[in-house]
Amino acid sequence: MKTKKVELVVAPPAPHFVGDGFRVHNFIPGGYHLDMQRMDPFIMFDYNSKFYFPPSDQPKGVGVHPHRGFETVTIAYKGKVAHHDSAGNSGVIGEGDVQWMTAASGVLHKEYHEEHFSKEGGDFQMVQLWVNLPAAFKMSDPKYQGIKSDQMGRFQLPDDQGEVAVIAGEYMDVKGPATTFSPVQMYNVSLNKNGEAQFSFPAHYNTGLLVLEGNIMVNGSEQAETDRFVLFENEGETFTIKASEDAKILILSGEPLNEPIAAHGPFVMNYKAEILQAFEDFNLGKFGYLED
Amino acid sequence: MFENFKAYLVDKSGIESSKCEALSRTVKSLDFKKGSYLLRPGEICHHTFFVEKGLLRAYTVDEQGKEHIIQFASESWLMSDRSSAYFNEPADYFIEAIEDTTVILIDKELINALSKQSESFRRHNNKLLHNHIRHLQKRINMLLGASAESRYLDFVQMHYDLTLRVPQWMIASYLGITPESLSRVRKELAKKNFKP
Repeated sequence: MKTKKVELVVAPPAPHFVGDGFRVHNFIPGGYHLDMQRMDPFIMFDYNSKFYFPPSDQPKGVGVHPHRGFETVTIAYKGKVAHHDSAGNSGVIGEGDVQWMTAASGVLHKEYHEEHFSKEGGDFQMVQLWVNLPAAFKMSDPKYQGIKSDQMGRFQLPDDQGEVAVIAGEYMDVKGPATTFSPVQMYNVSLNKNGEAQFSFPAHYNTGLLVLEGNIMVNGSEQAETDRFVLFENEGETFTIKASEDAKILILSGEPLNEPIAAHGPFVMNYKAEILQAFEDFNLGKFGYLED
Repeated sequence: MFENFKAYLVDKSGIESSKCEALSRTVKSLDFKKGSYLLRPGEICHHTFFVEKGLLRAYTVDEQGKEHIIQFASESWLMSDRSSAYFNEPADYFIEAIEDTTVILIDKELINALSKQSESFRRHNNKLLHNHIRHLQKRINMLLGASAESRYLDFVQMHYDLTLRVPQWMIASYLGITPESLSRVRKELAKKNFKP
């Protein structure tokens, strides 16, 4: 199999706040050619790099807002987030947990620092992704998967090199618990110093990784430090990562949907008319109601 | 070239594209940061603001210190204090940028020059003025007699994306209802229209 080469190593863009609880670097859709198509079906990628939130009696976060046409996937590394939505789902995620919310035809939701974490304060580190839905599923029923760390599929790398926690997809015959609407591979990888792992995805899959901790060498030649996003070429299948020091890495790979994208604010559809419909439906209460 | 301003001149007013290019070199634009003011009561301002990008609100503060929003202006809308712009009197309203905003400044001279150049512009400008008056009449009528729900439904039809761009209390202020009433209206609508 051919090597999948690194196309770009992206430094985190200047952070901005989403609500008052998420201090994020937006990798997608952003500069460096990382528009919504480039990592399709991963159309949005916000990264809250490790950031200390002081104690607060009033939990910080983002108030009620709608989504339609895609899934929001929140991966917690440090800190805790509470979620409520108009479909009646709620949950708290902490270190190693994942919240996979399928907005599909439409939900209102709010995300806040979990009350106890908020009162104590502490380091906060999260990834939020928007995973696009195929046109056929954009208006399907909303769904919520709260996935705890101990539910993840786990593959132990030989010789105590580390482990691969499979959130979605499959690694070395170990399957992840998340169900998806198109082929998506998503892993949390922990490598001990000098630990090494190899990954293989079809050449046409859009593939990238984020270094959450430590320092890694990709394909023996490209160095990627903490908080760097690495984009791979759409040629070749296999790449290796080696930890120069203890490291945590998020790996993403997905089959592109290759469908038209019409996006406006919190709605991602295929055509503009569907965006206008989304606004109308939201204004008329068709997404339900959720107290702020 | 300012795309929305160009569309206003070329698509809506029928001014030739070449003349439009020449014009675009002479019109003045200004950028305002979110939270900054374009106009305050008592000031005199001879411009009407065409919103190229962003969002403005015009409001007054009553004797009790309560704000009342008169108008929102998002992309391609015009906003002006007519006492000031057309009658040379001190302005009655605050005009505030509630997002980072770029405006094109339009004054009487520009309107006159454009009207001379193009009969269709004159007609279009006249129609816009009547449309504005029609809208104000409807607004007075609704403030006097319509239910909170009717006012809200009328508002979202005209400003379909503002429910996601401005805080609830500003929409409530524009509608002349309390934020609690607006919340109730939206809850009732959800009860009626939400099919889980």
